[in-house]
Amino acid sequence: MGDAFCSDCKRQTEVVFDHSAGDTVCSECGLVLESHSIDETSEWRTFANESGDNDPVRVGGPTNPLLADGGLSTVIAKPNGGSGEFLSSSLGRWQNRGSNPDRGLILAFKTIATMSDRLGLVATIKDRANEIYKRVEDQKSSRGRNQDALLAACLYIACRQEDKPRTVKEICSVANGATKKEIGRAKEYIVKQLGLETGQSVEMGTIHAGDFMRRFCSNLGMNNQAVKAAQEAVQKSEEFDIRRSPISIAAAVIYIITQLSEEKKPSLKDISGATGVAEGTIRNSYKDLYPHVLKIIPSWFAKEEDLKNLCSP
Amino acid sequence: MAARRNNPSGIVPTIQNIVSTVDLDCVLDLNHIALHSRNSEYFPKRFSAVIMRIKDPKTTALIFASGKMVCTGAKTEAQSKLAARKFARIIQKLGFPAKFRDFRIQNIVASCDVQFTIRLEKFACTSHGAFSTYEPELFPGLIYRMKQPKLVLLIFVSGNVVIAGAKKRDDFYTAFDNIYPVLAEFKK
Repeated sequence: MGDAFCSDCKRQTEVVFDHSAGDTVCSECGLVLESHSIDETSEWRTFANESGDNDPVRVGGPTNPLLADGGLSTVIAKPNGGSGEFLSSSLGRWQNRGSNPDRGLILAFKTIATMSDRLGLVATIKDRANEIYKRVEDQKSSRGRNQDALLAACLYIACRQEDKPRTVKEICSVANGATKKEIGRAKEYIVKQLGLETGQSVEMGTIHAGDFMRRFCSNLGMNNQAVKAAQEAVQKSEEFDIRRSPISIAAAVIYIITQLSEEKKPSLKDISGATGVAEGTIRNSYKDLYPHVLKIIPSWFAKEEDLKNLCSP
Repeated sequence: MAARRNNPSGIVPTIQNIVSTVDLDCVLDLNHIALHSRNSEYFPKRFSAVIMRIKDPKTTALIFASGKMVCTGAKTEAQSKLAARKFARIIQKLGFPAKFRDFRIQNIVASCDVQFTIRLEKFACTSHGAFSTYEPELFPGLIYRMKQPKLVLLIFVSGNVVIAGAKKRDDFYTAFDNIYPVLAEFKK
């Protein structure tokens, strides 16, 4: 409601503002003076108590410094209903034909995200893996390499660098098609490339059995006492000369601890499934550990007689 | 031969294998060689060279159609040269004008035992970590890439050490002299 100069009436007239259509209409002759006026009041109501995760002011995901343009572009998704197939698929074709320098990177990041989801890894590890992959990709020599193995190796190195190592077998299980050997080779290659680029900055400690203890134990559902005992046992076992891979030692220690506890004992097959170590290997590692079992298992967990009752390999 | 190095431990690495190459300087007909010699195999679909073996010195040669030859399996440098000459003689007897050009030893592999167990994880953590690769999941030995002389040592927990990539006997003597005191530090 207000007064404005109407060009038909040639004088100041009462003007009605129609909010629904955004028109400014002269009330005397009905001429529309302005249409499509933009309403500048707030679009949504904000309350003091409700914070919520959606802040309507912000649009899109966090900027990704690894991508060329910060990930600002819009991607047209394919419809999953089949509505208007012709139109949207041609739009999709248009999108893909466009020159997108980051397409390979985005695809790789997506694959790494899928793999880390399957393993239940935190975003820190996933971001580090993305970073490693970008650094390797910058040196064009990785063209002909097995992409799956390369991505899996990036994830493996990221886990190691964050001090939460995953066994190669675990990474194998989520990487489609990459074998342990290929991932190992890709990992050596990446370490070399990163070393060339920055001059020996790749810091990766050696793996120890204790790093994997928590995870293996919780996979088997052992109680807290047993987990603590297993961790102590593994620490002590490092002093003895046992020439086995740390994962095999971890599996054998879990076997001993579970045999000693009163609760439901997982079979060799269960332990083999949870740790990724073959049953025969667990048996052989058990044979190697058996002579030292008295010194390794903490005394508060099991007494001497229980240890004597342990089956001899 | 080269003077024996006076290593305080008295341990000297023993050569296990020598790989050498020589140029026979003539084009060869591999089919002809394979058909007319008893101790050779030739499967062109699998590998494009004749694989020939002699009993003394016990060595194997890969003979290529271009006239180049790779001789492996000898235990000393002299044996490697002798074996290469024997192979060249066989090729000559088969009717090709073989010569003996550019005999060169490409790789010597040696091994030894330091007689004590070694803590590999500690080794990889120290200042030598830049040269070492120790992945117990992938390979039980520590891979040490020495820069001077440029060769690779495989160091195992048992104390066995394998040295590969040397071109001369002195190289791996020096390498072993360099690595021995370091290993002694990490004795278990």
